[in-house]
Amino acid sequence: MENTTNKAEYMIRARGIFKSFQDNEVLKGISLDVCQGEVLSIIGPSGSGKSTLLRCLNHLETIDKGSIEVKGEFLVKNDTSGRAVYAPKHEMRKMLSCMGMVFQQFNLFPHMTVLENLLEAPLQVKRQTREEIQPVAEELLRKVGLYEKRDAYPSRLSGGQQQRVAIARALAMKPDIMLFDEPTSALDPELTVEVLKTMRGLAAERMTMVVVTHEMTFARDVSSHVIFMADGLIIEQGHPADIFGCPKEERTRLFLGNMLH
Amino acid sequence: MEKLTETVLSIMAGSKITLEIFVLTLAMSLPLGFFVALMRLSSVRPLAVIMDVYIWIMRGSPLMLQLLFVYFALPMVGVRFSDISAALLAFTLNYAAYFAEIFRAGIQSIPRGQYEAAKTLGLTYAQTMQRIILPQMIHRTLPPISNETINLVKDTSLIYILAMNDLLRVARTIVQRDFDMTAFFIAGLFYLVMTAVLTAIFKRMEAYYGKYDE
Repeated sequence: MENTTNKAEYMIRARGIFKSFQDNEVLKGISLDVCQGEVLSIIGPSGSGKSTLLRCLNHLETIDKGSIEVKGEFLVKNDTSGRAVYAPKHEMRKMLSCMGMVFQQFNLFPHMTVLENLLEAPLQVKRQTREEIQPVAEELLRKVGLYEKRDAYPSRLSGGQQQRVAIARALAMKPDIMLFDEPTSALDPELTVEVLKTMRGLAAERMTMVVVTHEMTFARDVSSHVIFMADGLIIEQGHPADIFGCPKEERTRLFLGNMLH
Repeated sequence: MEKLTETVLSIMAGSKITLEIFVLTLAMSLPLGFFVALMRLSSVRPLAVIMDVYIWIMRGSPLMLQLLFVYFALPMVGVRFSDISAALLAFTLNYAAYFAEIFRAGIQSIPRGQYEAAKTLGLTYAQTMQRIILPQMIHRTLPPISNETINLVKDTSLIYILAMNDLLRVARTIVQRDFDMTAFFIAGLFYLVMTAVLTAIFKRMEAYYGKYDE
């Protein structure tokens, strides 16, 4: 990406990320940039390392080598011997707090109601008062269309509803970047629609988003940039119109052919 | 009739010591068990190994032997306890080991996604444990905890070897004195009432902590 914008507009810059699980090298030197307001979709066959890459961005996985900058500050960078060294804990906490995450399996807190799920982090982490945060949380629930479910427990909700609550829960912390790890992969097709609609809404509000997905239509229509990954490498990247319209690489063509039938 | 009243009153007096041991052991062994479980799961290797050995000894040898050890063997090396302290020490150490294993299984049964969600929301380890993991763990471990608690009611009868006049020892004394089995039946009834009350309490707790289930 030949961007001429200044450094501050980069929300995330990753350079040369390597990550292994035991002997299995999952990421083999990945670099990417995410600019303010951009929607980056990461596509690729399963096992290509795209979920691991996303999880590295917010430190759910630790990288072996490489660097990650969040809003111009180093979350992790190589020391002189070439090994990745993370920032001190309190600095890391601050950087990670500007990223919200939505998981494939939703991961709502089952022992809390929908509203309590949204209130938990603002109350505990940001030490906001209930009076401050409750109206914000209720507004978010209205936005995802689940205000009337605010007192229900997650087990009473459909998968699609749970995922929309999970999105609202992440948004309640007012993140600058939203990370989505295959947010619709655990959902029935008819429930996928409502989650994608919520995500489209977010993109329309210029939220910076990184989305690992198998939803090719979403990647094509909503993203500003698409990365195609296979075997721990970025095979091809660019504007969705180019990637989906005239992919340059054979692997991309094969993958898209399979996905789009 | 008068004799029966006297028997009931004596046994009631005996059940005071039984209840005392029961309540105090529970109050100490539950939190201790939880911390042992955390240490057992700690990434600090030596700590985890020490807890492993502790749990092995406590679960692997008879509670009776542990009681005798605290009461008779420790004084020989100069460590002396009052009757009740000796009983409490042995019971607490023993039950904490059992509770620790229950809590460990409970903590490990919470999906990793719960920790990850908490982390991405910015919760600290302590907040995650206290607000997210612990409430779910309590819900999941209540049935086995209830089992162990009922066991403890009955295990308190072991203190008769320490010459403490608990419920069962009082009953036995009366039976041996009068050659009349009534006291045993009354003692049995006392145990049954105590366990019935406990069962009812745990049932309510399970309903309370399970209110989020479908």
